Formats: sequence, structure tokens, C-alpha cells
Amino acid sequence: MIHVRELTKSYDDLRRGKFMALDGVSFDAFPGQVYALLGPNGAGKTTILRILSTVLRPSHGSATVNGFDVVTQASRVRHQIGFMSANTGVYDRMTAWEMVEYFGRLYGIDAEALRWRMDDLFTRLKMNDIRDLLGAKMSTGMKQKVSIARALVHDPPVLIFDEATVGLDVLVARALLRTVAELRDQGKCIVFSTHIMREAEKLCDRIAILHRGHILAEGTLDQLEDEYRERDLEELFFRLISEHDERYGIVEAR
Amino acid sequence: MNWSNVRLILERELRDQLRDRRSLFVIFVLPILLYPFLGMSLFQVAQFVQQHASRVLVVGADDLRVTPALFENEKFAARWLGDAVDANLIELHFAGEIVAAEKVEETARRAVDEEEYEAVVFFPADFGRGLEQVRRNLPPSDRAAAAEHTGGAPARRTVEVPSPRIYWDDASEKSQLANARLRVIMERWREEVGRENLETAGLSRSAAKPFDVALEDVADERHRDAALWAKIFPFLLLIWALTGAFYPAVDLCAGEKERGTLETLLISPAERTEIVWGKLLTIMTFSSVTVVLNLVSMGVTGLFVISQLEQFERQFGPPPLSSFVWLLVALVPVSALFSALCLALAALARSTKEGQYYLMPLVLVAMPLVVLPMAPGVELTLGNSLIPVTGLVLLLRAAVEGDYAQALPFIPPVVAVTLACCLLAIRWAVEQFNSEGVLFRESERLDLALWVRHLMRDRGETPSVAEAVACGVVILLVRFFMSFALRQPESFRDFAVLAIVTQLVVVFTPALLMTVMFTRSPAKTLLLRLPRPSALLAAVLLAVCLHPLANLMQRAMTRLYPISDDVTRQLGGLLEGAESLAMLLFVVAVVPAIVEELAFRGFILSGFRHMGHKWRAIVLASIFFGMSHAVFQQSLVAFVVGIVIGYVTVQSGSIVPAMAMHMVHNSLAVLPSRVTRAMEERYPFLERLFADSTEAGYTYPWPVMALSVIGVAVLLTWFHWQPAAKSPEETLQEAIDHEAASPLAG
Repeated sequence: MIHVRELTKSYDDLRRGKFMALDGVSFDAFPGQVYALLGPNGAGKTTILRILSTVLRPSHGSATVNGFDVVTQASRVRHQIGFMSANTGVYDRMTAWEMVEYFGRLYGIDAEALRWRMDDLFTRLKMNDIRDLLGAKMSTGMKQKVSIARALVHDPPVLIFDEATVGLDVLVARALLRTVAELRDQGKCIVFSTHIMREAEKLCDRIAILHRGHILAEGTLDQLEDEYRERDLEELFFRLISEHDERYGIVEAR
Repeated sequence: MNWSNVRLILERELRDQLRDRRSLFVIFVLPILLYPFLGMSLFQVAQFVQQHASRVLVVGADDLRVTPALFENEKFAARWLGDAVDANLIELHFAGEIVAAEKVEETARRAVDEEEYEAVVFFPADFGRGLEQVRRNLPPSDRAAAAEHTGGAPARRTVEVPSPRIYWDDASEKSQLANARLRVIMERWREEVGRENLETAGLSRSAAKPFDVALEDVADERHRDAALWAKIFPFLLLIWALTGAFYPAVDLCAGEKERGTLETLLISPAERTEIVWGKLLTIMTFSSVTVVLNLVSMGVTGLFVISQLEQFERQFGPPPLSSFVWLLVALVPVSALFSALCLALAALARSTKEGQYYLMPLVLVAMPLVVLPMAPGVELTLGNSLIPVTGLVLLLRAAVEGDYAQALPFIPPVVAVTLACCLLAIRWAVEQFNSEGVLFRESERLDLALWVRHLMRDRGETPSVAEAVACGVVILLVRFFMSFALRQPESFRDFAVLAIVTQLVVVFTPALLMTVMFTRSPAKTLLLRLPRPSALLAAVLLAVCLHPLANLMQRAMTRLYPISDDVTRQLGGLLEGAESLAMLLFVVAVVPAIVEELAFRGFILSGFRHMGHKWRAIVLASIFFGMSHAVFQQSLVAFVVGIVIGYVTVQSGSIVPAMAMHMVHNSLAVLPSRVTRAMEERYPFLERLFADSTEAGYTYPWPVMALSVIGVAVLLTWFHWQPAAKSPEETLQEAIDHEAASPLAG
């Protein structure tokens, strides 16, 4: 479904010189699976997801989504994915219904089918009370729901969530995670990035631990436990990171 | 491209902007209120001017004595007042005491300063007596009385009549008004006094002014009215179109980035081109509505004010109705052009603040183009119609004035140029939407030392696009400043030295320095490798075949934008002074060929090839090449020839064919002028070749032209089939384009 091979992204920063946001990252994600990208800020999670959603181009390496290459077949890829992140905005002067409808029509869904689908979606996500609420008047939780509805309106086989629970209160976050689980059960391929361990533990089938553009460890929770003899994901996480920093002599000036 | 997506985006953006109360107010309500308000103020001012009564102090008018009388019943006599001035509009106060001459100025100044009076008219003490004396000295009607009067010889004593004075204050508008009125009155009185003097002397009243020069204005009244509006309307149209486009553009592009909705839009299936077109059409709508509303509001107010003020009506009438029709027709290209420009700039900005800063440079560039047609002597010619914006304004002006016959042939070039500019701006906007740097750029602190060190430490084998642009700009700037420092050459030797030094300093040094400092591989950058012999031969042949065509172009350019005769003669004279052919060719062909090719097709072209589009690189490099020529007419030909040379360079992968072509081209350009009569007699075919030589230059007979066209076509096709190396960006772009065009896509 999603195949990433040696994905590399570098920037020329004046101060840092050639800065590698991603350095040879490879992984695979399959339908009916939630693939978690776990890592601290600056690990490269957003970069990977932006490349997968065709907004950025890799410096080297390749990625395919449902068989389509993200660089040469970008427009096909966009039909296959639904993307949601903490800072995907909603339009201030559009109502929730109008916004989701707008994107639905951009995806080429015809009016009748779109209305039916949106009714269904709004009911399932419990958004019927905010159908006619303008974006400027929505709370963060409402905005997130609109973004999810927008990402789902065209029923894409691949869903990408970039730190989607940031800024949400506990109840809304929980509801979101439940939705993700439901989508997984429907057979979608989901890539989920987060830096919250609990989410990764509860939700995800496979986990990749990212740090400074590298994947430090990858596999199911059980596989990771066997390999590193560590049951607690959080402990494993910190151990891998400090080992990496030591090995490469990186002194953190946080 | 999917137009239904464009329509979706357009509808959304329009709906969005219309829901913003504040922008609705500024765009719709403000013009409707503003112009009547301004009109009312203008009206008040005009009313004041018409109806304000001037307070004037008159000093020393007790003893005027002379006829005709200036005053009547404590006011100016009616016959001195013009049509414009009513007797009641001048309030006269006669000074009671007789003020001494020296004190008058002081009194007057105080009176006007303290605003007691708006002007003071002072008749000196001897004024009345002097006038009377002048009249008495005049010879009377019959000779007898004359002899009796003077006892023989008439004694003409010239009498000095002291001047009456009007004291006024130029800094005060009321005083200016009073002064203007008084002058009219005094001048009319003075003329009538003069005429009565003539009568008294037995001469006819019109002896001093035997005839009047009659002024006959041939302009038809409608044409005259239209002329004024023809100057104003296009100017206003462009201003409103520009301002009406700008703020929506900034909001739609930079504003969307700030609010975080841009990323969402980019992830949707809408192509970048569709997004740009949707936004462009939105901006055009706003630009057009702004123009129409402002025009209508101003028009209605203007008509009302004019009809109310009689004095204006005499100077110019209301605008002709047809002018409104033409303005509406012109609205589409004008708003399209400015909307595209604003969109391109706004797409570059990261935030609305940055976007608004870009407004000033845009206005600074657009203003001269809009104002230029208003200068006297700038007319609708083919050359002028090719200048963007200016051509459009001139065409519009001709239409408003009713000169349809004159305007018609210029419609195609103006439309073509405007369309070209729009399309270029749209393409640039699409690129900004594709550029990661622009979309996700974060602010950095500028550190010059670090930056230079980075440029040198992290240099690639070939220069970057930015470095290519910088090199071009540096070359142009150095040339510009050097042109001030150098003096005009007077002999060929002077010219030779000047030319070679200029080439080395202006072109060679920057290119060489930048190659060494900013690239790792001068060989790859400057394409220093040997070409295939066939490519070299083909290049030389191409230059030969191209020559007649280039010559034709040169003549066409000179006709479009004529060079002054002085320049042509001077240049010709210099070249004729060359001692030997070899020397001439060295200066004019060899040195420029080597130096300019290394710079433009070497360094600059190599840099531009990182853009991913071969032709764009060739054209851009050629633009700099053309601009670096001092004479404008040469620049255009150089631009076109530069494109051909650039193509050859890309296809052959070496700088040597380019140098050869340039050398051949320049040589062929000067050789014909060296063909003398003696040579023509020895080689008769030369005579046939330069059949139509004139002072202005030579043309080749049509068989030669036909041969050259065929030759160029064949050789270019040959080059097309050559295997050409691609830059990595070009390879990538080709892969993307190939995918997009394949039947599976979309």
C-alpha cells in the first residue's frame, strides 16, 4: 500500500549547513493496519507525511502510495489519500457543511452521492449540530472534526494523521482515536504520527521509532519487546534515543 | 486542466470575500459615498469663487479728473466690469484721509495682512493731474488751434504719469481673486482712456490697436471634450484596476498561507494551475467591479457638478457616451493584466504583511508606463503599441477620442503583448505555488559572512539559478556605470581599446570570477570541451544562413524604433577608420564572441539549466545577452540570435560552436560595409548580392533570403536530432511531464 524506500530530504541551512531532515528512511504500511511514526519534535515525522501527501519532494529515494509514485504521479496520489494534521485549517467564513462539500466536489464526487455520503459522515462523527456553524466560531475540537470529515469525504484507501490529537482535550482525543480504530477495521491503511506513547501503544499495529531523520527501530510491539527485551515502550524509546545520541556524539543543547 | 475545478474554486473564493463585511464596505460602499462627498466639496469651493465679494480699499481717488470716469456711485462703473464680474462683487471703501506716498505701502501691507481689506488700489497724488496734462498736450482737431496753442512749434513734453498701484497678497486666495478682478477693471479703463486720448488728438480710436487677431479653433467641440477625457479615463481605469486587484490578491494567496488553509488546498486534487486560475478569476472580478463602481460614481458626480457650474461647462463638456463603451471593452484586458501581476507577486509573499510591501514596487513600475502616454508627443505607433500597459493606454485614448480608423491596426499588437504578459505572470504564479521554498519558507536571520562562506563552501559543479541571475545583473550594472566613466571614442584605435576594455571588465571578469568562486568545475560550467566536428561545421553554416534574416530583422527594428542619424553616422565613421580587416574583425567579432559566449552561454546558461526547462534557460540567458547591448535596436536582434546560439550550445554540449557562430555572425554584420567598388568589379557576384544597398543599409535579394530560410530550417532540424545532455532537473521534469501526459493519468 505505502512503500517508502531510502527516503531522504535535505535542506541547505546557512547555519547548520546541509541539514538532513530525513536520512534514508524505509518502511511499508498495509491495509487494515495502523502504522505509527513515533518520535520527538524534529525527528522528521511531518516531513515524511508531507512527502507522502505530495506537498514536498524528496531529495533522494522514493515513495509509492497504492502503486502511484508521489513525485511523478502526484495528482493520482492525492486522490488516494486523506490527510489531517494539527494545523490543517478550516476556512473562517465557511460553514462545516460547505467546507466538506467543497472538498468533496473537488474530489469529483457527484452532488447526489456527495450529499448522501456527507449525511452519513456527519452523523457518524456526531457533527450534525455544527453543520451551519462558521469556521471562525468553532472550537478546536469542532475544527478537528471538520478536518476529519474533509479527509474522509472521498473514502480514500489511505489515511494520514499528523499529530492529530495535539491541542485536543481528553474526550475529543479519545473519540478521535476510536474513529481511527474504526477506520482501520474498515480496511484502510493508516499512517499515524505522534509523540505520545500511550496512543502508539493502544492503537498501532506497527511502530517506527524516528529520531533525527533515522528510523531507530521498527516492528510490532511484540517484535520490539523480543528484540530489545523491553516491555515499556517509553523506556525503549528513551533508551534508543540516548544510545543514538551517544554513538554519534550529539550533545543536546536544549 | 479541469475547468469545473476552476469554477469551484472561483465560486468559493467569491463567496468567501463577499462574506467579509469590511472588504464589502471598502469595495462597494466607499466609492458610492466618496465621490459625491468630494463633488460636494468641489462644488462649495466653486460656489465660493463665484459668489465671494472682494473688499477693496481705494486710496487717492478723489482727484482723478479724467474722462471716462472710473467710478460711479461709489462703485466701479459698470462698463469696466467684465461679464464675469458683477458690480456687487467688489465692495469699495474710499480712504478718508489722504495718505502720503511713502506711507501707502506700509498702510496697504498692514491692511491686507490684517485682512481688513483683500486688496488696496492706490492712485498717487499726481496721477489725475498727469493724465489731464497728457490730454492737454495732445494736438487738437484743427491746425489753427494748434499754432495758436503752442505759438508755432508744438512742444511735446513727455509727461510722466505715476502708476496707480494694486497691493495684494499672493498667499491669500481671496486676495488673488480680488487682484484678478481689479486687473481686468483697470486694464479696461486704461484702454478706454487711451482711446479717448487718440480721439482728442484727432486720430481714430483704433489707431493704437488697428486690428484684432482672431483665434479660430478648428477642433470640433465633441473632439475637444473627448480629448480631455481621453487623457483622464485610461489613467483612472488603470489605477482602479490595480488597486482593486491588489488587496484581494494578497488576501487570497498570502492570507491563505497565514490561516493554514493553503496546505489543505494543495493536498486536494486541484492542480496548481487550476488553483491559480480560480484565484485569478476571483481577483479579476474584484478588479473589474472596483473599476465599474468608481467610474460610475465619479461619472455621475462629475456630470452633476459640471452641469451646476456654468463656468466649467464652457471649458469642457461631459464625456462622450461612446467612451464608456470603450472603457468597458478595455476593462477585461486591463483587469486581467493587473490581476495576473498582483497574483504573481502575492504568491511570492509568505504573509499579508510581506504581500503589502510588494505593492509599492508594483506601483513604481506600473506608474511610468501609465503616465508615459500622457506626455506630449507620445503617439500610437507600432513601436509604442508593443510596450505593455503603455500601448493599451494609447489604444484606449484613440478609441475614446473617436479615432477608430487610426486605432484599428494597432489592436493586434496591443492585445498580443497584453496577453503574453498575462500568461507569463500566470505561469510565474503557478511556479510559486509549486515552490516548496515559497510555501513553507521559514524566516532566517540574514548573516552575510555565513552566506558567502556557504556559497563558496557548498558550491556545486555548476552555478545555481540565483547565481546565474546575479551574474547577469552584475554585468548589466557594471556596464551601466562604466558608460558614465568612459568618453566617446574619436578614432578607430580609441574605439578598439574602449571596446576591448569594456568587454573584459564588464563581461569577462564577473563571469570568470564567479566561475572560480562559486563552481567546482569550470570546465562543466563554461562547457569547455571539444564539440563533434559535424556540430561545429553545422554551427558555422547556421550562422551564415542566419545572417540575411538577422539583417532583415535589424532593418525592421530600425524602422520601428528609428536610430538618430547622428549615432548611425558616428558609428559608421568609426568602423571605416579601421586600419586592416583583421584588426576590425578582431575587435568587433573575435573578442566579443569569446568573452560574451563564456559569460552568457557558459556561466549563465549553465546556471539556468537547473530550472528544469531547457527553453526557459535559453530564453532567459538570451534576455540578459540582449540587455547587455548598449544600443536598443541591437538588443532585440541580439536577443533572437542569442536564442539560436543558445539552442546550438545546448544541443552540442560545447561552447566552441557558440563562439564560432557569434564570430561569424558579427563578421558578416560588418563585412558588407567593407565591400568597395573595386571588389565589386573584380567579383561580379558581389554586386548581385548587395543589389539594394542604400544609405540606410543593404538588403539581400529574395533568392538569398529564401535560401537562408531553408538553410536555417534544415540546420535547426539537424541540431534537434542531436543527442543532448540534460541537467538532472530537466530529466526529472521530463519524467513528471511524461506521467502527466500519459493516458492513465487523471
